[in-house]
Amino acid sequence: MKKMTAILLGLGLIIASLSACGGSAEETTAGVDTSAQETAAADTAAAAAEDGVLRVAHIKDFQTLDVHKTTNDFMVPINAFDRLFEVVKNDDGSTGLKNSLVEDYTVSEDGLTYDFTLREGLKFSDGSPLTSSDVEYTIVRALTLPETVQTDIYSSIVGAAELMDGTADTLSGFTITDDTHFTIELSAPYAGFLGQLATPGASIMSKAANEAAGDSFGQEASATIGSGPYMVESWTRNADLVLVQNPNYWGEAPDVKKVIISVVPDPSTMSMMFQKGEIDMLDADYIDSAVFDSTYRLPEYEDSIVSADRLATTYFALNENVEPLNDVRVRKAIQMAIDRQTILDTVYSGDGTLVDGIFSHGLIGFSEDNQGWLEYDPEGAKALLEEAGYGDGFTLEISSDNSSTASLLLVMQIIQQELAEIGITVNIEPYDEASWLDLRLSGEMPSYISTWTADYNDPDNFIYTFFGTSENVVSRSLNYPDQEIIDRVAAARAITDETERLAEYAALENKIIKEDAAWVPLFSRSHLFVLGDRVESFVPHWAGYSDFIFSSFKLAE
Amino acid sequence: MSSDILKNDIRPDDELSLQIGERDGIRDKLKRMCRQNPLAAVSAIVILIFILMAIFAPIIAPYGETEPDLLNRLQDPSLTHLLGTDELGRDLFSRMLYGSRLSITIGILPSLISLIIGVIAGLVAGYFGGWIDYVIMRIADVMLSVPSLLLAMVVMYTLGTSTINLFVALTMTGWSSVARVVRSHTLSIKESEYVEAARSIGVSKWKIMFRHIFPNCIPSLIVLFTLNVPSAILSESSLSFLGIGIKVPFASWGLIVNQGRQFLFTQPWLCLAPCVAIMIIVLAFNFLGDGLRDVLDPYMQR
Amino acid sequence: MKYFLKRVIGTIPVLLGVVLLIFIMLRIIPGSPVLVMLGEHYDQETIERLTELMGLDQPLLVQFFDYVKGALMGDLGVSYRYQRPVADMIMDALPYTVKLAVMAALFAWVMGLVSGIIAAVNNNNFIDRLFMGVSLLGVSMPIFMTSLVLQYIFSFKLGILPMTEDGSMVSMILPAIALGWNSAGSVARMTRSSLIEVMQADYIDTAKAKGLLRGAVIMKHALRNSLLPVVTMMALQLSSMLSGAVITESVFAIPGIGRLATEAISNRDMPVLQGTVLFTTVIVIAGNLLADMLYSVLDPRIRKGE
Repeated sequence: MKKMTAILLGLGLIIASLSACGGSAEETTAGVDTSAQETAAADTAAAAAEDGVLRVAHIKDFQTLDVHKTTNDFMVPINAFDRLFEVVKNDDGSTGLKNSLVEDYTVSEDGLTYDFTLREGLKFSDGSPLTSSDVEYTIVRALTLPETVQTDIYSSIVGAAELMDGTADTLSGFTITDDTHFTIELSAPYAGFLGQLATPGASIMSKAANEAAGDSFGQEASATIGSGPYMVESWTRNADLVLVQNPNYWGEAPDVKKVIISVVPDPSTMSMMFQKGEIDMLDADYIDSAVFDSTYRLPEYEDSIVSADRLATTYFALNENVEPLNDVRVRKAIQMAIDRQTILDTVYSGDGTLVDGIFSHGLIGFSEDNQGWLEYDPEGAKALLEEAGYGDGFTLEISSDNSSTASLLLVMQIIQQELAEIGITVNIEPYDEASWLDLRLSGEMPSYISTWTADYNDPDNFIYTFFGTSENVVSRSLNYPDQEIIDRVAAARAITDETERLAEYAALENKIIKEDAAWVPLFSRSHLFVLGDRVESFVPHWAGYSDFIFSSFKLAE
Repeated sequence: MSSDILKNDIRPDDELSLQIGERDGIRDKLKRMCRQNPLAAVSAIVILIFILMAIFAPIIAPYGETEPDLLNRLQDPSLTHLLGTDELGRDLFSRMLYGSRLSITIGILPSLISLIIGVIAGLVAGYFGGWIDYVIMRIADVMLSVPSLLLAMVVMYTLGTSTINLFVALTMTGWSSVARVVRSHTLSIKESEYVEAARSIGVSKWKIMFRHIFPNCIPSLIVLFTLNVPSAILSESSLSFLGIGIKVPFASWGLIVNQGRQFLFTQPWLCLAPCVAIMIIVLAFNFLGDGLRDVLDPYMQR
Repeated sequence: MKYFLKRVIGTIPVLLGVVLLIFIMLRIIPGSPVLVMLGEHYDQETIERLTELMGLDQPLLVQFFDYVKGALMGDLGVSYRYQRPVADMIMDALPYTVKLAVMAALFAWVMGLVSGIIAAVNNNNFIDRLFMGVSLLGVSMPIFMTSLVLQYIFSFKLGILPMTEDGSMVSMILPAIALGWNSAGSVARMTRSSLIEVMQADYIDTAKAKGLLRGAVIMKHALRNSLLPVVTMMALQLSSMLSGAVITESVFAIPGIGRLATEAISNRDMPVLQGTVLFTTVIVIAGNLLADMLYSVLDPRIRKGE
């Protein structure tokens, strides 16, 4: 019997030593069944939907709540922080800017000086006032924080470069008049500036709270202070983040009082949770489109599916440094050989619109004139190839990122088939994500498919990224060679007359895509959501992001 | 891995039976296994059928492996498509036949390479002893200490996702347990009389290792190999499930499961059919391994 | 005691080897983690600044010694994606994994021991086959399949258990079964075979001859002599469960160590992957050590053998 006792003792020892590191020692050793029953009651209460509470799921945990350190995790910044301006979507699908923290502003004749007036009595969620010096603090922080990834928003301000390279301690282009008045001076006229100020990256932070919080800003819920309609109540890493109404919010109190954002890494699980009513809405972007079709495109969900336009352009980039893509006739032939509507229909069930240029529908400066010219014409494509001396075809590599979705791979496979019909042999070459990005940055990627989604509502955001500098055309592996056009793209930023500026963008789009065939414009996909019974309506993000604006939700009675 | 410690302590009186386990005895033992343990025999037949199907996949398969057929996506099982079609309209039955080639290769090849590396490492470490033994066994310890799935994940992360790299990952995690077993056999046999005798008449070290010591390890190695294959198949499917195994458009069972699991609640066969295939072959190898161990492994036999 | 000390010291070169292996493997990968972090929004200035900030422009050797120095003080570096100390992230995740592993181990042991005993007692008849079959099914079923099927039946169809981890013990039941079933098979198999072996021994016959009841014979004599290898195996399993929860944690959205590792791979977050692999390795080594000691306490022959 001694041995038996020793065995039991040993077992107990293991359990005890292991659970010592966890916090749940008593519960587990007490036995599974009893503890399960005890917590069962509490658990059902938590799972049931309380009034005014919205439950959503997010596929990954947030990197950080500090918007200066992230280029894509905007869910919390857009809800717990305010910006000087916000983008609004009009009923006709067009978009514009509206004042948010800013009460009023004026722009000088030369487009260089902006005078801003803040609203009266603005407060952060901790009750402290929001003043001009907080705006200055935010801008200086975005430019000087070692980990910042948001410098481009403010780089057009006078003195930004000096501040960044350390030759100046203050931002010379920013002048504070009083608590509610300040002036920003730009080094050159830049029409996209106000649009930039409406991006999530331009969220206004509290100087006092941030300096007190130090590194815990953006890491701990209580240290992350903003002025938005919500504030962060708790953040359990990899589990959930809870937002509650900000009692000090200057605007109208939202319908949703509390938001629980659960991190659910598995799409099938997320879909099941939605069907069980454990979350109140489902973002179709997380789910494969074929799965979405077979699970949700059913009569019972017909009224629950919301389709939102996405201000995004999916493009097939062609590298002009790669033989024979340097021949414009070859690029045009590729443009004509791809049946984009069929791709959109088969892969994405037709949810989206074709794009014939650079800008997507709904974007400021979107030109109807530049649409409708690109037709599927395999015969014409063949003739063009013949003319270019490639009648026997050639081999082309499409570089594919291993982390791409199954749908995007399918798009590549269809393009592979279609190009085979005009004699081009396409190899879909897989790369892991980091190598893929490296190759693209080096300017040597032969061709690839990707999507650009609007950061701020201006054509500049699209065209400048790809064709604005001789560095940009290389780092996007386009190698567009026409320096004159590149200079014009950069110069268009400074045109102060709005009509003239947008006309110039339309002309540039026409030249780059239609005449020079720098890329094959594909489509912009709609963003689908499925609403649960508890949600009556919501306004999707203007650019179609997966980040929700919770104050726009109306809960069902 | 967990039972290695137990296998390692061969007790002194095992030596006798180890020496008796000569090569021509194996055939008789296999016959005995078939009589005593029909389940193991059936398992061997099942494995054989799977291997034959994999070899003749291009002849048996009614459709191709990778070509999408977008007009026939997500078809239910029918006479034209025995197991239905996937989200790209590819015939699941054909894909599974082709997939079995990769899956079975992934089960067998890395286990075989692990076996070769492990045998050499184990023999050398056990026979020479000293610092050679120390270095080899510490390397083996390092490989055994890192949880195998995590080690495989790190290898795939480093080398990128491809079939060859999957072999590398599975071999890296597999050889060390073989080395341990071979080493402990070597240790107990090298002091035995007949090895002493061989040494005294001037037989070379390598000849002693491979002619006299190695044959004694064969029964244990057969068992170990049979049990390593299913764990390699499961590892592959786990890696593919996590999205870091084989890459499209080729098929392995793990990858088909990974692609099909999104349809678990609407077209369950897409995920369950390859799951069941994995289960059957893993079960078959496990039963066969058990049966072999009963007749071949002297420690378990007693 | 000397034996224990020797074993503990013996693990040091192994640990160093693991650090070196993981470090070298993770540093030879192509591609820059900075680019992955930035995604579609990149420019040369930001790329250069962040590369320098993360110390990625340092020579490899300098990076390695910095890492080892830090690791000794409990500093496992800073996550690329989350920009917080990896050690903190592991400490946040640990309670979940421990909870899961302990519950899964309990399930595996209870199920494994019970079915092993029942199977052994009914040696080779239908009940033996049934219990061993159910246990072996868990070993042969890919763990993701077990997880998905359990989730489908008990959460989706019957709605009696939560679909994902929500902080409650109830929500850990399904993951624990999915993970534990996998190990139950090996426990059952070993319990059965060592019980059968012992029950054929002479002293059992003697006990039977003395007219003791069948149940009493099994409980008193057979079990306590056959459980020795089983207990060692169970101790080993606990450590492998702690590390092997990768898939279960992914399916049931449990924010544990395994999730950190899988997520680190998809984010190409090298410091996190490195840290989690190192940490679980330490746990496995500690678990093996513990199993060894347990075995030698229970069976003094081992110590003499060394």
